[in-house]
Amino acid sequence: MVNTKIRRMKKEDLPEVMDELLRLKRLNSEFDCSFTVSEEARPDIENYLMKILNDESHVLLVAEYSSKVVGILIADILFRIYYTPKYEARIREFYVMPEYRRKGIGRMLIDELRNTLKEKDIILITAEFPSLNLIAQDFYKKMGYREIVSIYGQTSTNGPCP
Amino acid sequence: MIMEDQERTERYNEDALRYSEYFKGKIQTISKVPVRSLDDFSIWYTPGVAAVSKKIASDPDLSFELTGRWNSIAILTDGTRVLGLGNIGPEAAMPVMEGKALIFNYLGGVNAIPVPIRVKSREEFVGVAKALEPSFGGINLEDIESPKCFFLLETLQKEMNIPVWHDDQLGTASITLAGVINSLRIVGKKIDQVKVVFNGAGAANIAAAYLFKAAGFKMKNMILVDSKGILHPEREDIDSLMINNPWKYQLAIETNGERVKGDLSNAIEGADLLISAAKSGPDTIDSRLVKRMNSDAIVFVLANPIPEMWPQEAKENGARIVATGRGDFPNQINNSLVFPGVFRGVLDARAKGVNFDVMVAASYEIANFVEDPTEEKIVPTMEEWELYPRLASAVASKTVELGLARKNDSKEGFYRRAREIIESNRNIYSKLMDLGLIKRMPNGEHKD
Repeated sequence: MVNTKIRRMKKEDLPEVMDELLRLKRLNSEFDCSFTVSEEARPDIENYLMKILNDESHVLLVAEYSSKVVGILIADILFRIYYTPKYEARIREFYVMPEYRRKGIGRMLIDELRNTLKEKDIILITAEFPSLNLIAQDFYKKMGYREIVSIYGQTSTNGPCP
Repeated sequence: MIMEDQERTERYNEDALRYSEYFKGKIQTISKVPVRSLDDFSIWYTPGVAAVSKKIASDPDLSFELTGRWNSIAILTDGTRVLGLGNIGPEAAMPVMEGKALIFNYLGGVNAIPVPIRVKSREEFVGVAKALEPSFGGINLEDIESPKCFFLLETLQKEMNIPVWHDDQLGTASITLAGVINSLRIVGKKIDQVKVVFNGAGAANIAAAYLFKAAGFKMKNMILVDSKGILHPEREDIDSLMINNPWKYQLAIETNGERVKGDLSNAIEGADLLISAAKSGPDTIDSRLVKRMNSDAIVFVLANPIPEMWPQEAKENGARIVATGRGDFPNQINNSLVFPGVFRGVLDARAKGVNFDVMVAASYEIANFVEDPTEEKIVPTMEEWELYPRLASAVASKTVELGLARKNDSKEGFYRRAREIIESNRNIYSKLMDLGLIKRMPNGEHKD
């Protein structure tokens, strides 16, 4: 979408980023009860984001449209002891506000991540999301990603939910 | 008012039970070819029939010429949302589907076969519907829960070569639009300028919003309200709607240009039209909200059996035109004005499909049928027989215009054909009744 700018996340973005993160997490909770959102977590999340905001092993991006944060991307850079290439960037959080979807903003965020990683010589990007999140599934498939890891879960009480 | 209505409903309930036990079903198959002697079976059945089969095998489209396929439709349901009764299953849906088949036949001359099916998934439903295609000229989906009904209609319309209609969406939307067209004519407002509030975001109103768009209403001038309030893109449940109900999701993005938040009382501010298809009333909507609407307010309160507010109260609060779903008030918004004529039309044109453009044409034909619309008469009534062939010819002609028809004729030609079929069918019916071959009501009971 024209007039959309992708840039690094700033401290001033955090209130909007937090809102969008929590929307994303609440959506996840609809897919699976093991993702039930802890409503008291807000201050902890904010502290965590502050901590990683300028950290070399994380990439935090926002999409800005008429001075509003309309999309976010947070990736962690992981060391792969067994494999080559030695590093991968894993997208852990990725959200575009509903009204701004299907306009190419998701792709712009991913492109900017790739550019940032190029400077660090990282070529492998992975993305993590709940198996039942069909929006994410469709998006990454469209971007040419394929499924490479599965995570299975169970609680110690054998019940379906923690 | 309420007591009277309650008593009347109870009497209908008792009658329906008693008569159903007596008649044991509402429809039957009856042959329509002469049997002069048993010898004729050699024509209608083997060996003669083999020649007909061979012919159709060489060109399956001839099934429309050499068998009754041209006039047959399936009324298909999984029984997941029957009337206001909810998911009561396919067996319990049958009485409703039989009733629908009766109306299809009586008003439209269509041979409609009730087919309630037991399926576990929507994909299985799609499989069954597609498997039935060779036997029918059209499919009428009925009483299917939302949002499954949107998925089924969209998928089947795309993947089948005969018209697929979901009456709870398209029938209701078409007659609503017809009523709105005449209402706007009366108050002298323009389609592309009015603000419309849809209260309730179930099958009927979601379909109506899309149909209104096709008719030229501006999406940004529409607001949808459901049990969670005004639909807008930042509402918390929008993300899950994207997966579970993309049709509603799309409306959340496209409607409500001013991004109004809140509930119906916020949405209704300055609205020209209120279209409510919500919970049965009488106090589902506070009638004083009508005061906040624009002058010459148009209020459709379509909940059954009791409208969301009483028409009198709506008028006292400033509504100029009020419509309901009931026959005992003026302006009954009734699907039965739509589906018999629409199916007569698509069958006569042997249409491959039906779409919003065809429906807009249907709505205009219904609206134009009312020669001199007034505040008390914005739509025809079911007794106006002339409506059905006229609607059929308008629908058939539109499918020709859009390249959906496999049979071409003039509007006049389609009209004559539809009229002939409907009349001949009605003649058979009244003869059978006159002769007592269709049994009288038990104990000689007469309609009073």
